[in-house]
Amino acid sequence: MSDLSEAPIPDQQATPDRKSPDVRTPDTAGPGMLPAAGNAALARMLQGAPGGTAALAELVQFGGNAQVARFAGLGDGSAAPPAPGPVAPPAPVNVTVGAHGEEVRDAQIKLSRVQASALPLTEDGRYGPLTASAVRTFQTSAGIAPPTGVLDPVTKTRLDAAFAALPPPARTVLSLGSTGADVGFAQQKLNALGAAPRLTVDAVFDARMLVAVVKYEIGALSRFPTGTVDAAMWADLDKKVKGGFVANEGAGATPVEQNTPSGTATSLAKQVAGTSLHPVTGVGGLTRGPAVEELQQKLNKAGAAPPLKVDGAFGPLTTAALQAFQTGRVPPLAGTGTADKATWDALDAVAPGSTTGAVERQWTEEVGGHVYGMTGANASRYSWEIQKTRMVVTAKITFVGLAPPAAWFGHVESVWNRYMGVETASGKSMPIDFRMVRGAGGDANTVTVSAGKGRANAGQWFAGDKDAANTIPHEFGHLIGLQDEYQLHPGDFVQATGHEPPVGDATGAAVAVTPATIAANLQAAMVARSSANARAASVGAGVKEGAFAQQVVEAYAALATVTVPAAAALPGPPPVPAKPAVPLTGNLLRDLDAALPDDNPRYDTIQVFSYSSGSIMGDPGREKDPHDHGAQPRHIAQFMTILGQALGGTWEAKRR
Amino acid sequence: MILRLVIADGSQTPAVAESVEVADDGAISGWRSVSDGGVGWFAGHLPPGELAEVRALVGAIRAVPPPVPAPPESAEEVLELLATGPVSIAGIADGPGDWPSLAAASRRLLDRLTDFPRAAVAAHHPAPGVARLVHRGTDPVRVDLGDIAVGATSWRGYYELAGDWSGEVEGPGEVEAGPGWTYDIPIGVDGPGSVDGSGSVDGSGGVDGSGSGFESDVVVHLTIDFAILSGTTRVPVRASYTPAVG
Repeated sequence: MSDLSEAPIPDQQATPDRKSPDVRTPDTAGPGMLPAAGNAALARMLQGAPGGTAALAELVQFGGNAQVARFAGLGDGSAAPPAPGPVAPPAPVNVTVGAHGEEVRDAQIKLSRVQASALPLTEDGRYGPLTASAVRTFQTSAGIAPPTGVLDPVTKTRLDAAFAALPPPARTVLSLGSTGADVGFAQQKLNALGAAPRLTVDAVFDARMLVAVVKYEIGALSRFPTGTVDAAMWADLDKKVKGGFVANEGAGATPVEQNTPSGTATSLAKQVAGTSLHPVTGVGGLTRGPAVEELQQKLNKAGAAPPLKVDGAFGPLTTAALQAFQTGRVPPLAGTGTADKATWDALDAVAPGSTTGAVERQWTEEVGGHVYGMTGANASRYSWEIQKTRMVVTAKITFVGLAPPAAWFGHVESVWNRYMGVETASGKSMPIDFRMVRGAGGDANTVTVSAGKGRANAGQWFAGDKDAANTIPHEFGHLIGLQDEYQLHPGDFVQATGHEPPVGDATGAAVAVTPATIAANLQAAMVARSSANARAASVGAGVKEGAFAQQVVEAYAALATVTVPAAAALPGPPPVPAKPAVPLTGNLLRDLDAALPDDNPRYDTIQVFSYSSGSIMGDPGREKDPHDHGAQPRHIAQFMTILGQALGGTWEAKRR
Repeated sequence: MILRLVIADGSQTPAVAESVEVADDGAISGWRSVSDGGVGWFAGHLPPGELAEVRALVGAIRAVPPPVPAPPESAEEVLELLATGPVSIAGIADGPGDWPSLAAASRRLLDRLTDFPRAAVAAHHPAPGVARLVHRGTDPVRVDLGDIAVGATSWRGYYELAGDWSGEVEGPGEVEAGPGWTYDIPIGVDGPGSVDGSGSVDGSGGVDGSGSGFESDVVVHLTIDFAILSGTTRVPVRASYTPAVG
């Protein structure tokens, strides 16, 4: 954990639940799609064919024709976001050390940006000594005396004003052939607004980007296309999508790229096709516990007569009610008395919500070009219960080997018990508490506890892991079905985090060779099965994570593919296992993973061509992102859906 | 060769790179890069009973198992049998069945391997404030002690963190370690003058800082990172010392 993070403070006092207006910049619909082009040039460009200057000139030549004018009239795509509902102004309350919640996080963001903090604050919503110190510094600079370190109403108003007065990012006019960070930021924003196909955030204004820009000009700006991202287009992009620039944060003016939100994050790993989220319940499956309670609730909603007592015990009455439900379907299901996938699907259709339930999630993910997963006996298993005042999510674990250290259970709660569900219309809130408990049975996960320390995985944890405060909550995340957020392909990163891939190093200024040369060198390294050569060709040549690295990824995809011959095991040291022949695919991460030995140079090489978040499910050891730290609202989205199904309404995760 | 298991994980530093091979005559050999039982080369012979168990498990295998994805964060584990060739077993957990049984037994062989040191170096904690490298086996091993990183964690009760210390040592550079060879490194976690946090050890072996002094009720775990030289290859390794806690 970063030394800038603020550990939970004992005896924290929750701040009153003030409903601040949601100032989130809304995502709006993307540019209107053009159904057809009135002239050949426009059609080709809009279909993604390489166009370039010539195509643009051709298009301009047809300027004014009726088709273009009609496209321009399709609508500007910049419709005002839905007006926020009436929200009561927050009560003027002092916020100080020990407070936590969204208001604290908002203050942390602003304190860093107005450079009142010594270094960028970790935006964890916890008001600790670093936040208090930043408030004092701000008060001093703003002439608020005495500097108390308390975010009182006066200080908050002044901080809000100082933040609002920050100058907007200076933008460069971009056109075909432009390169640099602003190109990458424009690509991020076009993606966030629905560019299809997605643009690679490679900081190169090429023909594909030109098509997206022209589409946007016509569909969103309702103007005749110029093929440039000029001041007006920048203003529109910045208005609709926040982030996408580098800000100096903290007194030391640390440059920090501001995340560009894009779409709705789906942090859950990809469910294996054809599997159910429900465990088999009844004979041959679970016969006790939350899964049975969920079954009984749903059978009652489906009309079980007489209604079942919801006691979590699968007895004759439940069996009979289940068989009646199964045979009563049209067409009927086999009356097995066991709730399998087909039965649960039918029950979910009739009764989507319940106040308790169990999940057995079979899933896979791709990390560093390699497929991992929790399937079969290793599936993620957890349960949930909506109580009167809170929701409790439980992952039961059968520990084998050593006993788990007691501190591990607290680590899970410390990281994960920071959110509540808030129903957007009523304001009703419900804390979400996560618990890791010991237990056995078909609804338990199995974890081996080993002595010493090593790199934990989802099924093996180390008792001597001194970083258990981070490791165990990360692995717990897998037990509730969350995927990793490191070494991801760009598309997977966007989906998992809800951010565009960072622009990072846009120009490769420190790199002496072209992306094409690096790509060729990487392929040669793979053919030679040399991870050292791969690292030398990339990290060693100065390649860093970001847009320039993605230029290499694209150049690699354009190479003619070859097959790397099979290789026998090498005794080493270090030993290398036998490898089958690898037909390279043009997918750089997958090819690096398949062709090279699993060693430090390979890991380093994959790291620069992929994306990682700084969240608890990411790689906080390598990615020090103060904006995306710890558990994030996206990580508990599945439970917001469950709340909505059970209680009605739309629920959002908010810091508590 | 009856079986060969190679486990590798480049996400850690030093990388995990372990191997064990069992021959028809019961000879067991291999290499450990990150280990409690020492790092380096190991070789010996399995007793007949153990060899028979291994043979039985291998003999039960008829076909390659269906692919199972490895759990997140898993190391690469490749088991090579004559009957099947190399098979990824990282997704195969211990449990009933031919492949789970064989996978678990193969992993245990990696630990068993360290009972047969040939040219290896292990970590010890002979006295408060001291980490010691000790040669194991019969053959010499060339080590690079020019840049040693030491981590020491002390535990109280049952894995209640009592202290943590890390330091870097400028050692003597390349040396040949043979039978009887040891090398002591002062650490700041549990000896006189102990400190929490990080420190450095100067050339005379003194430890910077001051601290709470020796505590008798703690168990100290050590990691010592250095390199083993094999021809022109320099292999980073981690020797660990992890006595039982609690």
